[in-house]
Amino acid sequence: MSHELDLPPSLQAEVETARRHVSLSPELEARVMAAVRRRAASPQQRAWRWLTAPSLPPWALLAAAATALLAFVLLRPASVGSPGVASPLATAVGPESIYVRFILVAPNAREVALAGTFNGWDPTAAPLARADAAGTWTVTVALPVGQHQYAFVVDGRRWVPDPAAPAVDDGFGRKNSVVSVSAAQGRIL
Amino acid sequence: MQRTEEPSDGTVVRAVLTGDVEQYAVLVRRYKDRYARYASRMLGSVDAAEDAVQDALIRAYDRLPQCRDPENFAGWFFLILRNRCFAERRRDRRSEGLEQAQEVTAPEGLHASLERAEQVGSLQRALLQLTPEQREVFVLKHVEELSYDEIATRVGTGVAALKMRMHRAYDRLRDLLGEPR
Repeated sequence: MSHELDLPPSLQAEVETARRHVSLSPELEARVMAAVRRRAASPQQRAWRWLTAPSLPPWALLAAAATALLAFVLLRPASVGSPGVASPLATAVGPESIYVRFILVAPNAREVALAGTFNGWDPTAAPLARADAAGTWTVTVALPVGQHQYAFVVDGRRWVPDPAAPAVDDGFGRKNSVVSVSAAQGRIL
Repeated sequence: MQRTEEPSDGTVVRAVLTGDVEQYAVLVRRYKDRYARYASRMLGSVDAAEDAVQDALIRAYDRLPQCRDPENFAGWFFLILRNRCFAERRRDRRSEGLEQAQEVTAPEGLHASLERAEQVGSLQRALLQLTPEQREVFVLKHVEELSYDEIATRVGTGVAALKMRMHRAYDRLRDLLGEPR
């Protein structure tokens, strides 16, 4: 390592002292857990967690996808607007689940997957298939009615928000896309 | 011989997400002190660090369904706390101007405590005048004693950029503490 990046000797003593362990108040745990219990008991919070928790096991999604092959009818044609723009399309197939088609135009990608709150952010659970030579990738998944966050995973490492969907801050500098699914007429809110 | 294994972070996160809210206390106990020193050096006081850690733990619970890798709860939680610390410093700069560094050592013998408080105080005051990014790399490298590779993994910044920040942090600290370059 370069000597320029060594700690200046004049700071050594102060840094040694700054390394002393810091303990927070023992009451912090009780305060945090009180807040957590209030949130857990809140109807709004329970509804939000039900909507966002990765509750569906992979086999359930596969079964839903198989059913979708029989019942799948798009409400509108899957058209891609401008290059690089994706848009989830949806159709209602039951009172509580909607089949949503996700599209991403990524001409240089070798593989693309869909990861979100509905599959535990598993980048292997919902791979997109390349639909044409222009680099249009699509996948259809069954989503419970409600709001879901998601992102595309390009080449297994790059997390890309959907450029055509609203986005929210994920809490540490990246964006997640949001899709709100309603059973009414199979429309995306 | 009987051995009791602690549940992994992933096991605890999944238990909380499936409704066993009380399991979250395991994560609180596991992480409330782990990053306390980082937060106190970033924010300048133990009180501010305690507020930040508490807020971050509650925020992590609210966002738990978004934790993409439950086994890496520690890294995910660190990023939430880091954002909280950065936001706090930005807010402080807007509302208070120049901060007064507070004593951040644990209680001990009075004389030694006062002596250390004076030492840490001058360094802490100087650290608070660095940019948050410069202060962070200094704290993670020299207080938390992480390698540049470990820091890069934790904060998502390249090693070369981290070394540049450190170089500038040294220059600024020397100026602030009246040391020759």
